[in-house]
Amino acid sequence: MAFHEERRRLGLRLSVLQYVTMVLFSALAMSFWYLQVVQHDRFREMAENNHQRTLPLRAPRGVLFDRDGKVLVENRHSYSISIVREQTKDINRTIRLLAQVLGLEEASVREIVERHRREPSYRPITIVQDSSLAQVAAVTARRLASELPDIVVQQVPTRQYPEMLAAHLFGYVGEVSDTQVGGAADLKSGDIIGQSGVEKIYNALLKGEDGAKHVVVNSTGREVRTLEEVQPTEGKRLQLTIDFDIQKAIEDAFDAIGDFNGAAVILDPSNGEVLGFSSRPAYDPNAFSSGIDRATWAALTTDDDRPLNDRAIQGRYSPASTFKMAVALAAMEEGIITPDFRVSCPGHATFYGHTFACWNKGGHGSIDLRHAIEQSCNVYFYTVANMVGIDKINKWATLLGLGVKSGIDLPNEVQGLVPSSEWKQRVKKEKWYAGETVSVGIGQGAVAVTPVSMAVYMATLANGGTRVTPHLLKAVDDGTGWKPLPTPPPQSIVTINPEHLQAIRDGLFLVVNGAGTGHNAQLAGYDVSGKTGTAQVISNAGKLAAAGNTTKDLRDNGWFPFFAPRDNPKIAGVIFLEHGVHGSNAAAIARHVLDTFFAKQEGRPLPPKPVIVPNLKP
Amino acid sequence: MFERRLYHHIDWALLIALFALCAIGVAMIFSATSDPTRGNSHLYVTQLYAIGLGTIAMVVTLSLNYRWFTDKSHLFYIALLAVLLYVLFLGTVQMGARRWIPLGGFNLQPSEFAKVGVALVLAKYFGETRGMPAWSDLAIAGGLTCLPLALIAKEPDLGTAVTLIPVFMAIAYLAGMQMRILGYMALSLVLIAPVAWKFALKDYQKSRISTFIDPSQDAKGAGYQQIQARITVGSGGLAGKGYMQGTQGQLRFLPVAHNDFIFSVLAEEQGFAGVLVALGLYLFVILRTLEAARLAKDRLGSYLVLGVLASFTFQVIYNITMSAGLAPVKGLTLPLMSYGGSSMIATLAAFGLVLNVRMRRFTN
Repeated sequence: MAFHEERRRLGLRLSVLQYVTMVLFSALAMSFWYLQVVQHDRFREMAENNHQRTLPLRAPRGVLFDRDGKVLVENRHSYSISIVREQTKDINRTIRLLAQVLGLEEASVREIVERHRREPSYRPITIVQDSSLAQVAAVTARRLASELPDIVVQQVPTRQYPEMLAAHLFGYVGEVSDTQVGGAADLKSGDIIGQSGVEKIYNALLKGEDGAKHVVVNSTGREVRTLEEVQPTEGKRLQLTIDFDIQKAIEDAFDAIGDFNGAAVILDPSNGEVLGFSSRPAYDPNAFSSGIDRATWAALTTDDDRPLNDRAIQGRYSPASTFKMAVALAAMEEGIITPDFRVSCPGHATFYGHTFACWNKGGHGSIDLRHAIEQSCNVYFYTVANMVGIDKINKWATLLGLGVKSGIDLPNEVQGLVPSSEWKQRVKKEKWYAGETVSVGIGQGAVAVTPVSMAVYMATLANGGTRVTPHLLKAVDDGTGWKPLPTPPPQSIVTINPEHLQAIRDGLFLVVNGAGTGHNAQLAGYDVSGKTGTAQVISNAGKLAAAGNTTKDLRDNGWFPFFAPRDNPKIAGVIFLEHGVHGSNAAAIARHVLDTFFAKQEGRPLPPKPVIVPNLKP
Repeated sequence: MFERRLYHHIDWALLIALFALCAIGVAMIFSATSDPTRGNSHLYVTQLYAIGLGTIAMVVTLSLNYRWFTDKSHLFYIALLAVLLYVLFLGTVQMGARRWIPLGGFNLQPSEFAKVGVALVLAKYFGETRGMPAWSDLAIAGGLTCLPLALIAKEPDLGTAVTLIPVFMAIAYLAGMQMRILGYMALSLVLIAPVAWKFALKDYQKSRISTFIDPSQDAKGAGYQQIQARITVGSGGLAGKGYMQGTQGQLRFLPVAHNDFIFSVLAEEQGFAGVLVALGLYLFVILRTLEAARLAKDRLGSYLVLGVLASFTFQVIYNITMSAGLAPVKGLTLPLMSYGGSSMIATLAAFGLVLNVRMRRFTN
């Protein structure tokens, strides 16, 4: 009895198990259907993200050449070390290990990662731009041990600048900032762009087109094979108007004279090509190429000498006596005086009840325009300025290039100031007093100019009235050969009576070759013409009061704007020495630059590095 | 002993299905372990050896009358306990667990054989008791199951240990255990679970379960394997990426692909079509074995077949669910396909018993 009963129950229970099994297998089949067919697209994409990486291949920036084809700025290969967070299992561990391996501070690595937190996790965050071989080796070793699968070492082109040469002109490159990314569609976080100088203003030409490498990686992040590689396009090659030898001469002469801040701008007066351009103190742009570290940046930004400041286009200084040519030209062109107009200088003069001193207390006696320029007679120019009036002085100074932007192709040029009655009304809401014009006559008062505008001023006097636009770009090569660029149109052209011009040129010639203060620039046979300017940083009374009580440098600023030769000038420019005491010290620098220029023109051997002993007696 | 006519009663269909699964397994192991950068791995060769040894074991287990095995089951059982004890104290340690006995180039994993041993001893025990099993019978049988289970769990190898429970449940169920008791067991399991969570489970075991519930909470850690398993399976699509073309398995996004996740590799490379073939084969094996249980000439034979089938089915279903990322990741291999010699030999030996019972259904 029980046997059959048992047999039946056994069969029944086996059937139950059979159906349960079938139901479970159907459920499994449906699960796989759901995953593999219904949700296939989603998982396929996830699988691709898993094993495919797009690594950016940074385009080398365009190489910069000088006017003779000499390489000025190029690229070298360096290795960057980045974190790809997509591969990260534990970001804190990665940061800790990486900092330890690289010998960096954990906090600074964390800060970099934090800064890029919002970016997609497949995009590498660069921790070290230009790593040492030891760092690369350390990371590579770890990576192979699959300890740090999320670390990527990439070879990247890095900008290489000549050491301490035209730093402000070239500028520097750096990682694009958040605000910059927001402002431009073609920029993405992590891009390296020009941040100042030529690098910045011609960034669009220089930057090139980044490539990309699509690779397959395995679970430890190692590249298994390359799917596709889009080669980067190198940025366009630029030929600058800069002459390396002139540039070198400027830097050498500045080095020779000692520890002075200052600026130099050397132009071809016929077209505005910038042959040399310097601002002192300089910085090393190479420090930025590989991602400037915090300490270096802090040192640069807090330095009292403000090395990042481009004095040539951003420094505004009182022109002092160098302004006198503008006053003289205004007076002659407006028909108020002739070159033979004479003034008697007793060492001082009184206007509107105030006494104005000449630098020569003994006076210059009766003096004409040429000699007033030669000897820089203040009384002569007080008198003439008073006769011309501020607005005509302003008109002519502007036509010569002072008080306006030069239009040079560099970012953040600052505008100087040549006052006018309109200016005073607008800014100070006051009317202009005729007495104020007297000090303007010798380049004092509100007058302030940038070195670059001073160079344009001299170029305009040299070429006879064409206010050329200083420019740095001569030709562009996008891979199909050099294409010269047209000269930018001049800012203004004015016809100057040749007699008047000659009188001024004669005066400037005498400054250097006669009884003037520019002897230091004398170069036998080349008729160097120039004007020294010594601008007080503080009034004489103030200087006495402050003596010994301040660490601030109160020595006078020295100018030496020049051109040469006197007739048919080939070169024009300015040397400015901050706290250089005398314009004559600047003239010594100019001499070496001119010497180099003419030697090169004539195919002579270039002069050796000069020895300059500055005259520091006030 | 082996009568010639028995030969004609061998279930060739089941045998073919078993070896088809083995063949698929070898192919997948070859794919999952190949590494073009380092040359091919030889794991698939080892697997082939294991299949050979398993076939020999199978011939042995189907040649002798299954009653001979059940009659000697107490000896097998004692031997099993002895070996498990030996492993526990003198076995080799790999990946933090003491599970293996080194046998000259080959590591034997005795816990794999525990399933067969327990099936034999329980079949024998229930086969000799008449009528519905009493409480005391269940208690004794439960004790017989728990002894090796505890030893294996102690290694620790919770996954393999757990596979002994279906053996007991299935045989007890077939022996006529009242459904009421099954209900009690389920209830007590629910009650024990929180206690076990608090005291018995290790941290890594807890994290596996908690990340199963929400894999994204630890996407790079414990949830990683589960997410990767789903990606692997899902990205396979209908037709698969092609043999040795699976990116997830080939590029090692999936851990131990040749072992625990062999089915994921199949799903990725052969797609849903391949999955259906493999699932169909497994289902065929299970249903065919259930039929063997039904055809058995005595209860003992039915129990033995079902006992062997229970752990097999449990492992197949659990592993396949896990390889789709739908169950917590446990170290449970897929019988017949996963890489592993002990498992292969034990499984084929167990199916030898199934064939044995079926072909002797007419003998007396």
